[in-house]
Amino acid sequence: MVLARVKGTVVSTHKPDSMEGLRLLLLEKVDAVSLKGKGDYVVGVDSVGANAGEIVFYVTGSSARMTETTKGKPSDATIIAIVDVIEKDGAITYRKAEEAS
Amino acid sequence: MNLALVRGTVVATKRSDGVHGPRWLLVEECDPQGAGRGDCLVALDMVGADRGQMVLLTQGSSCRWTTRTEDRPMDTLVVAIVDAVDQGGKKE
Repeated sequence: MVLARVKGTVVSTHKPDSMEGLRLLLLEKVDAVSLKGKGDYVVGVDSVGANAGEIVFYVTGSSARMTETTKGKPSDATIIAIVDVIEKDGAITYRKAEEAS
Repeated sequence: MNLALVRGTVVATKRSDGVHGPRWLLVEECDPQGAGRGDCLVALDMVGADRGQMVLLTQGSSCRWTTRTEDRPMDTLVVAIVDAVDQGGKKE
């Protein structure tokens, strides 16, 4: 699973019926320590109710179809978790509550 | 499978993966000598790995071939703790 920050939403009206109702979010991959964006973007289907600015992680490939939201849908990147805390080498590098305040 | 180092943990309470009570590990892919490549991934721990340990990483749809992850949206798994790497008769 890959760490990313939600940067915004993607809207599409012209799409197959099976993709109707899916929430598409623009994600930028982030470094696990600095939480800075890597300039690498991907569009992911939201299955947890993530909002802009939040750190999430997403699954890719066929596993992206395994959530309730994306079962049988043509998704190859699905957000499956909103991150609360990241700890690396014993130090907290990210805490959601602190960033929000 | 790839070699990786356990670098830390990730806590996420709001999830849609349906996997209960797992430990999320922050892992960094590494070479056989144990030097990290710089990029970290979030992985589900199957073996109770600790920070600093070298582990084996399974990625992709093969991650769903365990009883705990069957039909779950998982694409990165820590499946083993590495004891030793032997390269050309030389222990790394």
